[in-house]
Amino acid sequence: MMLLNCFKLFYTFVKLGFLSFGGGYAMLSMIMSEARHFSVTPAQFADLNALDMVVPGAIAINAATYVGYLYQGMAGSIAATIGVSLPSFVLTVVVMRFFAHFKDNLWLTDILSGIKPAAVGLIAAAAITIASDVLTVPGKDIGNLLVNPIGTLSLVPVVVFILTAVLNIRFKINPILLTVLAGIVGAIVIL
Amino acid sequence: MFKNLGDTINKNKLYKSFALFITFLKASTFTFAGGLAIVPAIERDAVEKYKLLSEDEFMEYATLSQTMPGVIALNCATLVGRRAAGVVGMLAAGFGAILPAFVFMLLATILAKMIPQQGRFLGAMRGIRAASAALVLSAAFSLGRYNLKSTFAVIVMIAALLLVVLGNLGAPVIIVLSGVTGYIYQHIKRYQERSRNDAS
Repeated sequence: MMLLNCFKLFYTFVKLGFLSFGGGYAMLSMIMSEARHFSVTPAQFADLNALDMVVPGAIAINAATYVGYLYQGMAGSIAATIGVSLPSFVLTVVVMRFFAHFKDNLWLTDILSGIKPAAVGLIAAAAITIASDVLTVPGKDIGNLLVNPIGTLSLVPVVVFILTAVLNIRFKINPILLTVLAGIVGAIVIL
Repeated sequence: MFKNLGDTINKNKLYKSFALFITFLKASTFTFAGGLAIVPAIERDAVEKYKLLSEDEFMEYATLSQTMPGVIALNCATLVGRRAAGVVGMLAAGFGAILPAFVFMLLATILAKMIPQQGRFLGAMRGIRAASAALVLSAAFSLGRYNLKSTFAVIVMIAALLLVVLGNLGAPVIIVLSGVTGYIYQHIKRYQERSRNDAS
């Protein structure tokens, strides 16, 4: 069973590796959309994103290691990491052989003109999924939002969310500083 | 004579592979954001210190590593490694880039699981998670600034968002669909431009 689960991790991450364009966050959002198959919750993804800021290395490799470990321990983290890394090795060999054809390739540019904006949509979707989990009162479903907004949303996390978004997007305040402050606010206010 | 020549080449490759491993191990250990932030650190070591490849070649590969699918920092490692020292170089550079990301994340995950999920700790975690969600949203904004410059792009972005959130579609399906859409759209656009030019 464990072997089968590790193979599932490996296979999923190979697939994501071959299909992900545009770097860390694009890959992160793709991993998140597949994470339900590995029983990783949106809140655990929020933890991953926070850890990523202080853990060195490529975001996608960090994410593979994290999801693999949560799902199948050490063996899972190795299977997922090898999976997410494999496409780079395979594509490097292929691309170096046909370099001239790849470089100013028109069909690749055409395909990317669709994939790049879709990647933005995927990241926004990831933000919504995480937010709808971590901003709600524990045990409440976001589906109740329209029926009972005050009983569904948790006040302090919502305020922290809005402040962090504005301070980072509009005023470019350092994300690590904002995360630390959010942790301090949470420890003091939320009980 | 040829035997000696072969030895020199092999030794040279081994030395280069070791240099590649160290270069990418260092770059990966001291880069936290991933992606493009890693490039200047690699350039200093690979081009100036170890002279593994020329500046122009390096810049070409750094650009290519972003166009290729997969992990950008790792693409850069495998391309530079393969160019500088063949398949052995590719494996050495790639392994160097993967190792710190894997080891440090594994340690962080094990440590994070030890944090008690109650009282003040849980309060702090909930605050951090809320900030984390906001920072993912912020990532969408900063990427959107570069990639949403046409009506077509905005429509694709919204469609992808709705298909994931409401349609419950997996990301791989979205990526394939959006790639096909981009391909068809660019062809129609070019065809229309051509017919307009023919008419005038």
